[in-house]
Parts: sequence; C-alpha cells; structure tokens
Amino acid sequence: MIYIHLFAEFFKIGLFSFGGGYATIPFLYHISQVYNWYSLDELTQMVAVASITPGPVGINVATYAGLKSAGILGSALATAAEMLPSLFLVIIVSKLLRKFSDNFYVKSIIETLKPISCALLTSVAIGLLIPDLKDIKALILLALLLVMSWKSKKDPLFYIFIAAVIGIIVVLLKI
Amino acid sequence: MSLFKLFLIFVKIGAVLLGGGYVILPIMNSEFVEKRSLISHDDMIDYFALSQSLPGIIAANISMFVGYKLRGKWGAITAMVGVTFVPFWCIVLLASVLGALTQNSYVQGALWGVGVSVIALIMLTVREMWQKSNKNIYFYTIFILTLATLLVFKLSPIQTILIFTIIGVLYKRFAEGGK
Repeated sequence: MIYIHLFAEFFKIGLFSFGGGYATIPFLYHISQVYNWYSLDELTQMVAVASITPGPVGINVATYAGLKSAGILGSALATAAEMLPSLFLVIIVSKLLRKFSDNFYVKSIIETLKPISCALLTSVAIGLLIPDLKDIKALILLALLLVMSWKSKKDPLFYIFIAAVIGIIVVLLKI
Repeated sequence: MSLFKLFLIFVKIGAVLLGGGYVILPIMNSEFVEKRSLISHDDMIDYFALSQSLPGIIAANISMFVGYKLRGKWGAITAMVGVTFVPFWCIVLLASVLGALTQNSYVQGALWGVGVSVIALIMLTVREMWQKSNKNIYFYTIFILTLATLLVFKLSPIQTILIFTIIGVLYKRFAEGGK
C-alpha cells in the first residue's frame, strides 16, 4: 500500500528533520532512491516549485512529493503526515515550556542535531553535484550564483528566477 | 476568537508567506501581536525560538503554538490546516500545468537552470546553518564524523540521526559529566 509507506515516510520527516524547509531535502533524496515515486530531476523541480509558491517550503515540497507519488490524496496525506509530529510536540512543549528548553537531554540533542543536519545537507549537495560535474555550463552557473551570494544570502526566489532566465537564454542562443 | 476566524487568519498567513521559515515571524507579529494584541511580544519570541529548536517545519510549528495558545488543541489543528490551505492548492494547480509545459524547450531550459539553483540554495542553507551554530570542537567532531560516515556508507537520514545523536548525548552525559 503506497499510502501507508507515504504516511510513514513523511511522518518520519516531520519527526526528524531539523533546521527549516531545506533540511527536509536529505529525506526526500533518500525516498527517491528507495522508492520509485519520483526521480532526482523531479526532486530539484519540486524544490524549486515549492520555493516559488506561497507557504513554508518544507510543507510545499511534501505536498508536491505526495502528489507525484500518489495523486491528490497522496499529497494531502504527505502534508498532514509531515505536520502531525509537530502537532504532538507543540502540545507537549506548550505545557512544559521553559522546563523543556532547560532539560539536559533536550539541550544535548539539539546541540548534536545541528552538526548532523549540516552534514546531511552537505552530503545531499555532493550527491546532486556529482551528475553535474560533466556539465560545464551547470558548473559555471553554480559558481555564478554562489559568487552573487558571497556577501549576503538573498531570497531563494532571486536565485531561482536568475537561474531560470539564464537557462532560457542558453536555449535561445543554443550555447 | 472563533475557530473560523482563526482559520481565516492562518489562511491569509499561508497565502502571503514566501521564502524560508524565518519570514514568518514578522507576519505572525503583525497579525497576533500588533493588530489584535492576542499574544504578547515576548511569548511570540519564545514560540519562535522553540519552533526552531523543535523538529519539523518552523513555520508550521510556530503557527501551531499560536493556535494552541488561543484555542487549545483544536486551535492548533485549525492553524495547521489554515496555514497549508492556499499553498496546497497552489502546488496542485502548478504541478498539473507544469507537466504539460515540460515538452517546451524553453521551459526545459528554465528547469535546467532552476535545478542548478537548487544546488546553490542547499549550499547556502548549509552555510547559514554553519554560521548560526556555536562552533566548538564538539560541533566539528560530530560534523566530520557524520559526513565521513555518509560518504562511505549508504545510511538513511534517520539512521544517521539516531546513531550520532545517541553517541553525542552519551558523550555529553559521561565524558563531559552533564546532567
């Protein structure tokens, strides 16, 4: 049953992803390798669409991934499954509030999750970069985007828009 | 505040929210602290900090904290459904149009560029997380151990998180003697 797997996978994302919307990408990357719900190309497309539509990126990408995997019912299920752990945690934490953030185990887990999240995202960036290593145009565009953000990170929309325009120009000029 | 009114406010917040999770704090402040004085400014800052330290999506977490504070668990559920309402239909509509458009070579070109920009966005997110973290020997050690393990073995993100969180907490408990 695809719905049970879908629910379980996105519930896990809601429970274990840490550090904002893009932190869910390592999980989605893993899903694309284990199940045949969507390809890697489709994953980057989903992240882009999730970034340019309103709403939290992490939720949007779950909606999209659910839609790709199992239609509209799948997208509702993935969205709800990803938010469900937060619902329980928010209710528990609201009752404990400050006691929660002063707890030794909570503090240690949070302090440990930061470097782990960084490492997970770095490994995904490496994984996505490897197929592009043969594509010199992609490497130049990537370098260009990174140079533009050298001083300060701009809105994600900015990078997506610039990159899309450059992509169209490349096709127009048949570079 | 009726649940329906709460739902409408969160529908609006979901509709105007663009970009990363950090954009939500000013929007929530304007709706619940400034316009309606339902939540104190200090509480909102607390919720935001807690939302970042909890797993899950930051914007969803803070919405549910506010919903729970105002109307208990049904308030939290209302906030959850409300904040995803507009984004959900946007994705469903755009996805159905996008499928037909991908035959066009200009759209393909644009998608190629967008694919590259996603790699850049992931790298920039790593940089941002890196800059915001308190980087001590503990941070570097866990980071390097985790990355090295991921490059050598095929572990799922959850296996990785469980293994290294347990190692980290045991280390803090026994080697650093914390309680």
